[in-house]
Amino acid sequence: MLKAINLTKNYNGATALDDLNLNINAGEVFCLLGANGAGKTTTINLFLDFIAPDGGKALIKGFDVAEQPLETKKYLAYIPEQVNLYKNLSGLENLEYFSALAGQDRYTKEDLLGFFDEVGLRREAAENRVSTYSKGMRQKVGIAIALAKRAEALLLDEPTSGLDPKASNEFSELLKKLSGRGCAVLMATHDLFRAKESGTRVGIMRHGRLITELSTDEIGHADLERIYLENMRN
Amino acid sequence: MIYKIAHKEFIETLRDRRFFVAALIVGGLLLVSLALGWQHSRQIERQHEAAAEMTRKQWLSQGEKAPHSAAHYGVYAFKPQMPLAFVDRGVEAYTGVAVWLEAHKQNDFRYRSAADQTALARFGELTAATVLQILLPLLIILLAFNAFAGERESGTLRQVLSLGVSAKNLAFGKVLGLTGVLALLLVPAVLIGAVALMLNGDEAGEPFNAARFALLVIGYLLYLSVFVFVSLAVSARASSSRFALLVLLGFWITSCLIVPRAATDIARRIYPTASALEFAAQMENDIKNGTDGHNPSDKRLADLKNEAMQQYGVSRLEDLPVNFDGIALQAGEDFGNQVFDEHYGNLWNQFERQDKVRQLAAVLAPQLAASSLSRGLAGTDFAQHRDFAIAAENHRRLLIRTINEDTMKNARYGDTKYVASANLWEKVPEFQYAAPETAAILKKQSGGILVLFGWFVVSILLMIWATARMRV
Repeated sequence: MLKAINLTKNYNGATALDDLNLNINAGEVFCLLGANGAGKTTTINLFLDFIAPDGGKALIKGFDVAEQPLETKKYLAYIPEQVNLYKNLSGLENLEYFSALAGQDRYTKEDLLGFFDEVGLRREAAENRVSTYSKGMRQKVGIAIALAKRAEALLLDEPTSGLDPKASNEFSELLKKLSGRGCAVLMATHDLFRAKESGTRVGIMRHGRLITELSTDEIGHADLERIYLENMRN
Repeated sequence: MIYKIAHKEFIETLRDRRFFVAALIVGGLLLVSLALGWQHSRQIERQHEAAAEMTRKQWLSQGEKAPHSAAHYGVYAFKPQMPLAFVDRGVEAYTGVAVWLEAHKQNDFRYRSAADQTALARFGELTAATVLQILLPLLIILLAFNAFAGERESGTLRQVLSLGVSAKNLAFGKVLGLTGVLALLLVPAVLIGAVALMLNGDEAGEPFNAARFALLVIGYLLYLSVFVFVSLAVSARASSSRFALLVLLGFWITSCLIVPRAATDIARRIYPTASALEFAAQMENDIKNGTDGHNPSDKRLADLKNEAMQQYGVSRLEDLPVNFDGIALQAGEDFGNQVFDEHYGNLWNQFERQDKVRQLAAVLAPQLAASSLSRGLAGTDFAQHRDFAIAAENHRRLLIRTINEDTMKNARYGDTKYVASANLWEKVPEFQYAAPETAAILKKQSGGILVLFGWFVVSILLMIWATARMRV
């Protein structure tokens, strides 16, 4: 579903991403770990075609994102560290707007409220302006947008950082639900615990290179932390 | 899709209190300026009608009177208020709207409201034209500078673009949304303008010229959309919304203040005109001494006597079948008219060349193109002032000639006490002025229209180009 082939990006001569090869299938949750500047966000930006690669390509459902930027985005949902919404619009209006722009403009109000239920947002909050929402609520709206869009691939950039443990846990549950439906997920995160919990695979990045890839089934929490720290030390 | 984006932009802007305040001020000013302009226009029109009636009545009721003293008595000619003058008063405050038609002289226009005002008038009267040309672009910039830059800063731009929305759709959605917001201000203004026009038409007997009004509306829409497109283009490319605002304010100041001001000064420097005092002195000198300085008036008079006597085959003035005083007066007029034609012609040509420079400068500043078109359609530009001045001058010549011919035919030689009969005055028709047709105005404005249209096309292309290369 999500595929990177020899993906490379330089910023002013400095290598941000070096020859990344990645393949994430439907139903998989791939967690990218690594220090700040390791190339996680660069990877996501390349999949979004917000930046152009200096080498290699990023494929979504077999389409090159640089060649078909609009087509490939149809299958995508993107949830950044902070889901940014229009603060003068209500949560419901935001959801309606984003899903309409994503091509899903046939939802009734009841359908849209159904997505609110699904992500665990109270219906009463739907009519409130987004400026009154907490961060956890915004992230849930982000998921609701992904649901409404019927996204097949999810790009998450530290979506749980700054969330309280309960909100973070709820978010992970939603993620599992989505991958259970066959969504391919690429998540950049600093949260090793979350990566082990909700990820099916983890990749550790350093200086733009993917240096280790693991399956979360094979390791425990303590193992993951140990491996991560070892990789950072070298 | 575009409609959806437009709708969201519309709702979001309306919910923004800053917009509410700004729109209230600008929209209020627009309506007030229209109302004031309309009232002013009506008032002037009534005054002119009354004064025109008065001057005609006075002229007709002169009774038995020496014709030449009637020629000195003269009449006033008033430029009729054009139906659209309430939108744009153009140059009338400076050129004046009334002229005194009398013997020997082509007078300058009177009733220049600018002459009665303090230096504050330099900042411009509050007319609908000022609001449309200067203030509305500023409002558009304030509404649009953060269209993309602001969304980039708040992160929603990435969110929207990640959905697979094309930048072009996004841009045109924003254009449409902004149009909807502006329509809230402009539609009432257009409706009020149309109603005012129809009421004015009833009053002045001028038919409601829907085509010309529509052209004016289209012209202003073209002009305002330039600011919409440029604002979105800058917003798409600027590194921050602050920088976008800075660039756009620079564009506004350049287009609405600096270039128009500079173009006027440069035009004056390239095509200088004499001061009113010098101008009058030069004409007086030419009439006295002849245009080449070798044909003074005394000699002209002697030549004229010889010519007249030769023409009728007599050797004494008293034997002429016509009155020589009448001939001499008319010859003086004819000579004066040549001088006037030359001097006023040169002066007006200079003014028109200055106008051309301003029209050319519209390539740098769309405001100049809009202002030129607006004045032209409102009938208050310099070209139409000149058109009226020529018509008034032709009427003056007809009037004086009629009177001199009466003296020629009816006065006896040496009869300095000759009085014309009371029915002479009716032989001079009442002054009627037909303003240029819309087609003729458009032809004159074609250069400006082309420039305005050019701005429209270039700005729309600029927006498409800039949004395709938008910073994310």
